[in-house]
Amino acid sequence: MKNICMYFQVHQPYRLKRFRIFDIGNGTHYFDDEQNRAILRKVAHKCYLPTNQLLLDLIKRTEGRFKVAFSLSGALLKQLVAEAPEVLASFQELAATGSVEILGETYYHSLSAIGHKDEFIEQVDLHRGTIERLFGQRPRVFRNTELIYFDELAPLIADMGFKAILAEGADKVLQWRSPNYVYETTNASGLKLLLRNYRLSDDVGFRFSERNWEGWPVTADKYVNWVAASLGETVNLFMDYETFGEHQWAETGIFDFLRHFPFEAERRGLKFVNPSELAGRTPTGTLSFPTPTSWADVERDLSAWLGNRLQNAAHERLYKLRSAVMATGDQDLIERWRKLSTSDHFYYICTKWFADGDVHKYFNPYETPYDAFMAFMNVMQDLEQRVETRRGLVRETVGTRQSPSGLALVGAV
Amino acid sequence: MFGWEFPPYQAGGLATATLGLVKGLLRQGIEVTLVVPFPVGHSELIGLRLVSTATRVTQLLRTRRVTALLGPYMTAQEYTVTHAQMVQGAATTGKSVYGRNIFEEVERFASIAAGIAREEPHNVIHAHDWITYAAAIEAQKISGKPLVAHIHATEYDRSGDHPNPEIYRREREGMHAADIVIANSHALRRLVTRHYGLPSEKIEVVHWGIEEHRPEYHLEPPRPFKQDEPVVLFLGRVTRQKGPDYFIEMARKVADFVPDARFVMAGSGDMLPQIIERTAELGLTEKVHFAGAVQGADVFKMFRMADVCVMPSVSEPFGLVALESLKSGTPVIIPKESGVAEALRNVFKVDFWDIDEMTNKVVGILRHRELYEELRERSLEEVSSPKLGLDEPAKRVKEVYERAIEMANDRILQEVAS
Repeated sequence: MKNICMYFQVHQPYRLKRFRIFDIGNGTHYFDDEQNRAILRKVAHKCYLPTNQLLLDLIKRTEGRFKVAFSLSGALLKQLVAEAPEVLASFQELAATGSVEILGETYYHSLSAIGHKDEFIEQVDLHRGTIERLFGQRPRVFRNTELIYFDELAPLIADMGFKAILAEGADKVLQWRSPNYVYETTNASGLKLLLRNYRLSDDVGFRFSERNWEGWPVTADKYVNWVAASLGETVNLFMDYETFGEHQWAETGIFDFLRHFPFEAERRGLKFVNPSELAGRTPTGTLSFPTPTSWADVERDLSAWLGNRLQNAAHERLYKLRSAVMATGDQDLIERWRKLSTSDHFYYICTKWFADGDVHKYFNPYETPYDAFMAFMNVMQDLEQRVETRRGLVRETVGTRQSPSGLALVGAV
Repeated sequence: MFGWEFPPYQAGGLATATLGLVKGLLRQGIEVTLVVPFPVGHSELIGLRLVSTATRVTQLLRTRRVTALLGPYMTAQEYTVTHAQMVQGAATTGKSVYGRNIFEEVERFASIAAGIAREEPHNVIHAHDWITYAAAIEAQKISGKPLVAHIHATEYDRSGDHPNPEIYRREREGMHAADIVIANSHALRRLVTRHYGLPSEKIEVVHWGIEEHRPEYHLEPPRPFKQDEPVVLFLGRVTRQKGPDYFIEMARKVADFVPDARFVMAGSGDMLPQIIERTAELGLTEKVHFAGAVQGADVFKMFRMADVCVMPSVSEPFGLVALESLKSGTPVIIPKESGVAEALRNVFKVDFWDIDEMTNKVVGILRHRELYEELRERSLEEVSSPKLGLDEPAKRVKEVYERAIEMANDRILQEVAS
């Protein structure tokens, strides 16, 4: 092994209120501002602020040789601007070191890649504009929501000017091949694929504090040995940023681990690289992802978000409303609709592990997936009614003018 | 085993629960002699002996002693009829078990129990609820075998904060006399610890299960309404404990959102007149249908007919009805504090007083076919898991027996030693 590429996902959704049948048509606010604020503050305090500070120290102490990449969802950035500007500033400070790359994604951390092509493109543009404005760098590498990738996505991403896309190093796709090389997509020549090494990533992300796991405890020294022993050119360690301090509490020693990690790696001659550097490498070969593949659960498919009839019904209802929402030209309505496109709303409706008491309940505001479904559908109905009312007004005042174009920047920070 | 209800003599869940437990125990290779106060025939279940104190009364009636106890007017036949009526009366009103003569009934049951304990070989005495505790204590005096007191519901569950002091006394006496107490739920265990001064380590929690396969689960439902009119069901005694008043208030609100919804109240009880009156006040007489008390297979027809079954019980120490409904393929809304809520996940759980939330959930199920289907499928899957079958509770009860026997042996050894 020669290189390590690290990317952290940073995202918080706009969680909905327990929107009830009585709230429909009553002007009730959709989002649980109080809860969202509380969770943001908690995570900022436990993870974002201390980890950002640590990363900054490490970058300084290694004179910029320690590198990481972030994907910051627009939904998160918007909340940071409103509620925690000091956290945004700390991300900006990191980006300014030159060792931190910011990736592109859909603004609302949505499933629009599955739901609606135009919407997908608009959300990616919207996000890219926001990143440029806030961080002064233009994302060159793309990562889709939950690392969802399939072949048809490649031409869209390439057309938007991205050089590489991140994907899960799923066994079903790789088969005998290693995730530790740069690959090329099959149907967009030049667009590179960077694959997550899920074993090594999950050793930190999921198993770090698992005491009955044979690898426990994970020290930086031991872990770097594993990385070094892994065959190939680059190990891609992709994980949720909340791993540090939130999924794995400070008490587990996760921060000590991170503090020593870059030095242990350098001691063994490993180098840190950013995704866009890898995008410049010559690919080892091509890889095809015929069906959507994600980084979630053992299935590595879409079933965590679109795996039951409730999720599918909610998803269909959302995208069915899109053209009508856009036709209103009403920025408030469009933003509401887009906030509903965030994948978390569908994740909360997942029933596949529910009976066992599951891993899906992380920050899940609902008692059951059924409650999540009802809240979502009630909000959808309210939004449909608002859209209907608004269109009625538009028809009355300005005739039937409809201009869905030019709305791409609606909802930008 | 001393029981008070057993099919076909059924007032509520106790009969079903007792039958389920007996079947489960038989599968565990335990032989059961079930002593009940009403006349019974032979049991079809292998390994179960049914003994009736009523039949014994009939035999003993010829002697003056017992006749005196029962009063001079009553012939054996009359008594048997009255008794059957009483047991069944409980089914319709839920009230008559608290009738004037209930304590006499209990005493008589107990007095005969001693004789049965002498004649019937047994290793453990198992008694269901306070009505049988006196009998179990009498039996224990004779045989010295360990006593397991099973609590399905307490006087606090039935009457709220105003327990009948005599019933309370008997419950307490039985629980304290027992070597081990079995409670249907953790909630019930907490209640017993709080109100009956029993140390929680003496109480084992055993959730009920339900018979895995019965033809009743697949009965063709009656179709009294139009095809697309959804049906919301209340099934249970129309008494304060079961919250029928909350159901009616909810019906009013649901009707605003789903105008063609039908509401069926299956059950009888002392609150029925009040509920009917309130239905009229709310202008719901054409939407709410009173089916009266239902028994046997009709229970399952009711579930099969409904789109959702709502249990707004003020107190529900377990709530076997929820499992029956799910087995019939009908989603349920259960009280948050019920015992069954501890055992199920794919159901809606509400506070019985939260009429708006109940409305919200019922409307959700009626409006979204996907929600109905997903709930139905997932909950059926869940209720079909082994932990909610008959074996699991029976295994747990068997363990309780083994421990109780051990405790009784230790006690004897200690007595011998001192």
